[in-house]
Amino acid sequence: MSHLSMGAILRRSLVHRRARSLSALIAMTVSAAVATALLTLYADLDSKLHREFRSFGANIVVTAADSNNGIPADALAKVLATAGSDAQAAEFSYAVASTDRGTPIVVVGTDFDAVRKLNSWWQVDAWPAATDANAALLGQRAAQFVADEHNVQLTFGSHPLTLRGAGRLRTGGDEDSRIYLPMATFTTWTGAHPSVIEVQVPGGATQVEAAIVRLRQALPGMKVDPVRQLVEGESRIVDKTHALMYGAVLLIALTVAVSVLATLSASVLERRRDFALMKALGGSQSNLMAMFLLEALVLALGGVAAGYILGSAAAWAISQLNFHTATLPRIGVLPLVFLLNILIAFLAALFPVRVLRRLEPAALLKGE
Amino acid sequence: MFFRLLMESFRRQRRRKALAGLAILLGTTAVTAMLALATTIGDRIHKELAAYGANIVVYPAADQLEVKVGGVDVKPVSGGAYLHESDLAKLRGIFWANNIMGVSPELPVNGSALLGGVDGPATPVKVTGLWFNHDLKGITTGAPTLHPWWKLEGTWPSEAVHTGHTNIVVGSRLAKQLGLHIGSAFVLQGNAQKDLQNDPPAQVSGIVSTGDDVDNQILVDLSVAQAMEGVKDAVRRVEVSARTKPEDAFARKDPDTLSPAQREIWYCRPYANSIAYQIREAIPGSRAEQVRRVEQSEGTVLKRISGLMWLISAAALLAAGFAVSAAMATAILERQGEIGLMRSLGASKTTVALLFYAEAGLLAIFAGGLGYLAGSGLSGWLGARIFATDGPTTISSLLIPVLFPVVVTLALIVAIAGSTPAIRRALITDPSAILRANV
Repeated sequence: MSHLSMGAILRRSLVHRRARSLSALIAMTVSAAVATALLTLYADLDSKLHREFRSFGANIVVTAADSNNGIPADALAKVLATAGSDAQAAEFSYAVASTDRGTPIVVVGTDFDAVRKLNSWWQVDAWPAATDANAALLGQRAAQFVADEHNVQLTFGSHPLTLRGAGRLRTGGDEDSRIYLPMATFTTWTGAHPSVIEVQVPGGATQVEAAIVRLRQALPGMKVDPVRQLVEGESRIVDKTHALMYGAVLLIALTVAVSVLATLSASVLERRRDFALMKALGGSQSNLMAMFLLEALVLALGGVAAGYILGSAAAWAISQLNFHTATLPRIGVLPLVFLLNILIAFLAALFPVRVLRRLEPAALLKGE
Repeated sequence: MFFRLLMESFRRQRRRKALAGLAILLGTTAVTAMLALATTIGDRIHKELAAYGANIVVYPAADQLEVKVGGVDVKPVSGGAYLHESDLAKLRGIFWANNIMGVSPELPVNGSALLGGVDGPATPVKVTGLWFNHDLKGITTGAPTLHPWWKLEGTWPSEAVHTGHTNIVVGSRLAKQLGLHIGSAFVLQGNAQKDLQNDPPAQVSGIVSTGDDVDNQILVDLSVAQAMEGVKDAVRRVEVSARTKPEDAFARKDPDTLSPAQREIWYCRPYANSIAYQIREAIPGSRAEQVRRVEQSEGTVLKRISGLMWLISAAALLAAGFAVSAAMATAILERQGEIGLMRSLGASKTTVALLFYAEAGLLAIFAGGLGYLAGSGLSGWLGARIFATDGPTTISSLLIPVLFPVVVTLALIVAIAGSTPAIRRALITDPSAILRANV
């Protein structure tokens, strides 16, 4: 009986003072939306950032322990199988040839498609087609030591080779002084097999270390080393951005929570007269408190439902705008958001309790 | 009268004012802190990105082709072209001189380590001359600052001339191979040095581990390498770390094809390309290139992180705006009775509205100002905790004056916009109805 009447009071209270209920509901929605958006973004942040760091290229280098032998033919397949599905790898083979002018020059055999994916920072006029066996990329410094870029005459030992330069390569690094050509052409020309595999494993220092351990197990007798310059820098920056986001999330959540708390508890205080009236009509203290809490709970639930949708949409938009990849809604953040909102609502309802408990119904109803 | 009403309202309704004020205070604190972090994040992340080393490399234009595989020089060139060490000071005179954060010249030479004394057997070693702690017109720079991933055990050699011995640093793999440790002394002979009796012996002051070919080298002060090779003032290659603006389509243009006005704009933007261009102009016979692996990727990372901060700031702004306007609306809804009383005593709608707006405005300016201070402090504290800062934080570095009017104006707009619907509703309702309902 008492429950039934409580439900009725609750419904009337919410419907009758529509404006106030609505403003409380909006406040709860905002706090839930902010919490959802920030938590969703935060949960996804590390993987998103690590994806950006992919543009730095390979962070693990696999070489033969004995530099005179090449690496086994199945090494690349093994690397790709061990390093993880989102890892990228390319193999390289190096030799020193001489140009038609007699200048010694480093020539590199590789797979252009793999390199293109791995080394996105390479600036290339035109990538050679994979089918073109004699297409080459000329480093911008190497190109100055070649008589005709479209008819590159090279000699390795006593074997001549004519390549057609597809475009120039600009990197600002050692690659500038080299000529890159397809691996198959390279192998038939020089007889040399791949000697280096460059691997890019997305993730911070721990993921890279783990990948190195796995690679060392899978490829006994080969040297697997991290590119220290990249691995350490990446971890540092991701950690700092992470910490910064953490600070921002706490700060914003706190601000919104306290503002919402202020709004809600003001609206509870405003109802001192209702409280006094109910007390005068025979409601017990705990009865009335339960009513207030129930009302807060309903508002919080409504806020969470609307806020979760809004917040997930905001997180999706932010991530689409900034990282150009979608962040999908996460169910995992829902309990936390719910808990946070309930906490705010209960605090807002309980905060004025001290004031309400001291009330003398008669005095208040008479006009304070 | 109006003024007295305003004052009394603040004096008597402390709790209500405190609640609305608290909402504004917290909102502006969060917004100021986020905006302050977002405006400075670029510089801070850029400092962190310096961990990737140089983003511009300078070498002689007439250089021979390097024959390097995996960082190892297969056919080391002897002779060839050099840059002048004395020209490097000109880097501090280019347009974007203040953006040059570090300079590290290097001179690789071949030497022999005579481990068994002057008459002992000679082991060929690769020696690289570097700056370690060089004062280049106001910035202290050198190889260690440009290669933060180098791990040193011991100390870097200093430039001061030691009588008796030359300090050197040995790469970890070479040290193991030759059985050297800190304090070992031996004779290091260069190509140009025949008269060994007068040469001071080399003493190992540190062992460095780098993870690349430097592990197989001996690092000495640049002047020592120059003396070993007999080339005064020479450097083979210079690495430069510069603070740059991420590259866009305009940056990729060739400055020589641009109109003079456009070229001026191109020249005066801190793109890696324009800084490289200015370095070429400043150092005769040089060629400067951006190191794409570092520069291009840094640009992406920088853009993403600062973009994220700006978007989060926008979200914070929106949320704080909502929270503050809800608090303002509640504060006014609570006072409907007051409005009814004033109206029935003869106050015009304008007067009442003006009174409430004045209250909201005063509150916004006061709490907004406090929030600005609190937010600036908070962002400074957060920034200092997360990022390494150089030097003590001063008040002037904490406060960003531009943000003050922005934040206070935002607080004003939000407070007034938040109160408007509530004030309007209270003014539309018949005063007698309000009074009857309330008393």
